[in-house]
Amino acid sequence: MFRAVFRLSATGVRSLARSRPCYTAPLASRCYSHGKVESDEEFDARWITYFSKPDIDAWELRKGMNTLIGYDLVPEAKILDSALRACRRLNDVASAIRILEAVKDKAGPHKDIYPYLIQELKPTLSELGISTPEELGIDKL
Amino acid sequence: MHLPKPVMRGLLGKRLRFHLPVAFTLSLVAAIAFKYAVTEPRKQAYADFYKQYDAVKEFNAMKEAGVFESVRPSGE
Repeated sequence: MFRAVFRLSATGVRSLARSRPCYTAPLASRCYSHGKVESDEEFDARWITYFSKPDIDAWELRKGMNTLIGYDLVPEAKILDSALRACRRLNDVASAIRILEAVKDKAGPHKDIYPYLIQELKPTLSELGISTPEELGIDKL
Repeated sequence: MHLPKPVMRGLLGKRLRFHLPVAFTLSLVAAIAFKYAVTEPRKQAYADFYKQYDAVKEFNAMKEAGVFESVRPSGE
């Protein structure tokens, strides 16, 4: 919903902010008064399937990640796991580490999200041999 | 140390739901404050000045000061 909001003009934003038509989870769903709103589980499942494609190519990985990062949410650990495995299939450790950096940035001021995600992804990270930005010392400016 | 799952969705939406009305309200308040603290006093000052303004008297004063080219002071 908020991606659509930001594309409107200033006056449009003002009226939308005042009226606040829907209270659904602000994902890729539009504010329909009719039509099905996708649940969080369906959203997650869709993205896990996207990154699980065995012959996913580098473009699709980048496109998927960029689209995912555009949403008003921090991706679930299982989606990130699927994305990291796609990086493994593409022999792209740089993108894998970048995904971790992006997720930390997405959390913004909410500092409890990234440590939680690293905790959840620890098995995957050690299985695939992916270092975190902190381990590499590249998280400091 | 096992961390509990934090809220990961709709964080920007939640922030905006609070801050956007605040932002619009504060902007409106700032505009209204500027109008009544600056523009209205300024307009009133101009109105007060010109209420008792005698254009002819001012012209003659300027004329005697010799600032015009088309009309010289009454002495010359």
